[in-house]
Amino acid sequence: MDLLTQTYLLLRKDLLLELRRRDSLLTMFFFGTLLLFVFHFSFDLPPDKVAEMAPALLWLAFLFTGTLGLAQLFQAERENHCLDALLLSPLDRGALFLAKTIFNLILMLLVELVVIPLFWILFNLSAWNLLPQLFLVILLGTIGFCVLGTIMSALTLRARARELLLPLVLFPLMIPVILATIRCMESVLRNGEFGEALSWLKLLVGFDVIFITVGILIFDWVIES
Amino acid sequence: MGAWGFVSLAYGIVYGAIVVYWLFLKRRFRQVETELNRLRASEATRSDDKS
Amino acid sequence: MTQSIETAKKRKGILGGLALVAVAIGLYWSLAIAPPDAYQGEVQRIMYLHLPSILTAYLSYFLVFVGSGMYLWKREKRDDLLAHAAAELGVLFTALTIIEGSIWGKPTWGVWWTWDARLTLTAILLLIYAGYLMLRSLIDDENRAASAAAILGIIGFLDIPLIHMSVYWWRTLHQPPSILRPDKAPWENVHPAMLTALTISFVAFLLLYFYLLSLRYRVGEMRHEIKALRVERGA
Repeated sequence: MDLLTQTYLLLRKDLLLELRRRDSLLTMFFFGTLLLFVFHFSFDLPPDKVAEMAPALLWLAFLFTGTLGLAQLFQAERENHCLDALLLSPLDRGALFLAKTIFNLILMLLVELVVIPLFWILFNLSAWNLLPQLFLVILLGTIGFCVLGTIMSALTLRARARELLLPLVLFPLMIPVILATIRCMESVLRNGEFGEALSWLKLLVGFDVIFITVGILIFDWVIES
Repeated sequence: MGAWGFVSLAYGIVYGAIVVYWLFLKRRFRQVETELNRLRASEATRSDDKS
Repeated sequence: MTQSIETAKKRKGILGGLALVAVAIGLYWSLAIAPPDAYQGEVQRIMYLHLPSILTAYLSYFLVFVGSGMYLWKREKRDDLLAHAAAELGVLFTALTIIEGSIWGKPTWGVWWTWDARLTLTAILLLIYAGYLMLRSLIDDENRAASAAAILGIIGFLDIPLIHMSVYWWRTLHQPPSILRPDKAPWENVHPAMLTALTISFVAFLLLYFYLLSLRYRVGEMRHEIKALRVERGA
């Protein structure tokens, strides 16, 4: 069985489980929306300022929401020693990595698909035509987050204070993605197209490619720890 | 604070911290060494008892 | 067995002694012989601390990377011990670099802190490797902790160039290039005594670093042996 087939099967299992109970998805969705409200009350922005702050606020909301999802990522495997069972089988660890990454990616994308238009409505933003470009940037950023996040989630699986440790080790490493995503989005909102932000976009793609490769190669060792 | 004040502050903190860390290391070193020798000694007596 | 331990101790002692001498010479040269900077005055002498510190920190993180990689490959405990010791020292020297940078900044720019590229990058570096140390201390199983830390050590190091790029772009795209940076001294008219002071300071820091590293490594090595002995007795 090759890498892609294994990935697909593992992914399908996770998706089916999630479809039945929707624990992670609903929690993430409500948390993301809740953050929007909290931001609104905290920042009390005049309407012209909102467009400036929108990329940062959105991305922060997704970061925190995504971290929630990451904490849940290996939960199913932890119960009933499923992880040990998986490891005993001749499974390519890279497939496990890809499956978990894509699973978290799908969850986050679903949440983002709802939260972004919601944000636009709640904060009375007008640039609806720019949403596709913005979404591309967010997609690339979310991929970066899910890739590194899956690795860190697996690494901290047996650590004490796991819920605190996971963001602690993940966020500094995410800084290129955070910077690139937000700057890119700002540029799009300001100029209506990518222009100068193209280098940020390249950085994002580079980041994603590098760490997907590293993840596939290194996941054997990650999961054994 | 004059220029030399800043310089002394910087040099002071840096070498001060290095000295403190060094003392800290030495203390850890001594503690661990004692513990190790104690364990090794009792290992030796254990094997003496067995033989 | 004990004889090799004695030799090791003696060697460490010699290294420590050399380091001390180098530090003393370095201090004398940095503070007394090297002339004050034409623009920044005496405060520029902090550079003789700052550049060696940051370079020592980078060396440390490189050792963490190498140790982590070797450990994952060969699973020999000594590589893990090296990585752990280097990470601890790296955090120390990074923290010192930040403090030096801050103290240098106050008379130069008027503020204790600024989010310029260099200081920001150093702070991020500190966060990454402090996280490494935390990860190690929060995982109870020693082998798991070593493996997990090794992965983090590798990923962290690989991420550094990306972080470097992103922070520099961020800070230079919209900033006027007129912000004076302490290490951009006018190299055209550099006084030879300044270069000597810098070189001696580098050597001094390197010697100090390797002395402390050897101590820290040995502590880790002994701790590991203690654990092994305890397990034996328990079994």
